[in-house]
Amino acid sequence: MKDVPDVLFEEARRKLSRASKVVAVTAGKGGVGKSFVSICLALALAEKGKKVGLLDLDIHGSSIPLALNLAREVRAGKEGFEPVKKYGIEIMSIGLLTGDAPVLIKGGDKMDLITTLVALTNWRVLDFLIIDLPPGTGDEVIWTIRVIKDLGSAGALVVTTPSLLAHSVVRRNLELLSNEKINILGLVENMSYFICGKEKVWPFGPGSGDVLAREFDTRLLIQLPIEPNVEKAISEGFPPHHASKELKNAFSILAETIEDLMKG
Amino acid sequence: MHEWSLAEAVINSLIKFGEERGVASIEEVEVTYGEIMELEVSIFETAFEQLSKGTPLEGTKLVLKEEKAKFKCNACGAEWDFETVERILSDEFSVVEEPHGTRESPLHFLPQLAPALLKCPSCGSRDFDLTSGKGMRISKVVVKT
Repeated sequence: MKDVPDVLFEEARRKLSRASKVVAVTAGKGGVGKSFVSICLALALAEKGKKVGLLDLDIHGSSIPLALNLAREVRAGKEGFEPVKKYGIEIMSIGLLTGDAPVLIKGGDKMDLITTLVALTNWRVLDFLIIDLPPGTGDEVIWTIRVIKDLGSAGALVVTTPSLLAHSVVRRNLELLSNEKINILGLVENMSYFICGKEKVWPFGPGSGDVLAREFDTRLLIQLPIEPNVEKAISEGFPPHHASKELKNAFSILAETIEDLMKG
Repeated sequence: MHEWSLAEAVINSLIKFGEERGVASIEEVEVTYGEIMELEVSIFETAFEQLSKGTPLEGTKLVLKEEKAKFKCNACGAEWDFETVERILSDEFSVVEEPHGTRESPLHFLPQLAPALLKCPSCGSRDFDLTSGKGMRISKVVVKT
């Protein structure tokens, strides 16, 4: 029956619309720190008193449960899966259900899996939902574009690094978002510099995220430091962005900027 | 207990469907679901009846049709059914169902996860397809215009 609605896709859309604002965190390239940015942005927004959800759609490479030290257990009630709570945010991830097992899943099935996971997740009413996407322009990204296109207030945050290699791949991602008329909130350049004593050292030069941003009529929102203590913070049970004052401040600024950009 | 959220999804979709097409009422709806979802028909029916009260779906006849699950391995060609799955399904991962704390496999909620939770019973490969019986869809709607 052609006219009959896709029940679960409709429900997934309804569930996402419980969030006033949706931010999809994306990048063309793997290893640029997308999940790290997603997690820290979600936590920084929560520290500003916002109700925040974090949805991990990196089906094959889910890292959020590990980065937040989450127990691999999901509870379900009448209203569906209950998101896991940590540091004041709500989290749902396929990694909570499959642990370290390899997730072999193909095109159409992957779309259906995401649809069902989102349709069955019982988010509270949220101020922000941050969606962590895998690298590239595959099914997870296409699914998200389809859904957020019709939402009132949604946008994409694109993560890159100062590497020219990253730029060439991220450009494809920006091209896709721009073509699909997704609101590009801006670029985040990760691993731009490190602090040595009181100096900022730029090992890859000053970065050119701003040039890439201008090319797509958007902005470079922030350059993030390389922080060697992130893993130590995680293993000691602290939120990753608390690894240093510099990092915490950077995410606080990013959270404020996102709030401003999505006001109204 | 995912029957309640699935019933709610069906009702929400049908309300929207009716509104968009200006139908006077929906007399009957047929919902086809995959065997692997292990839907408790009586709970789904109760949920549908309770949740549709006071909506345009109140009194709509609900017909539930189960679709048998079939698996086919791409590595060795073996085919198997749901009875085999129940035998080989690992209990390493589970969803805890409230309020009683019973443990269910994530497979019943998310059938597409089969290759992460199962291996081919013949050759042990995860490269197999669930060729039928995996999702839920509205397969028929009878409306009054």
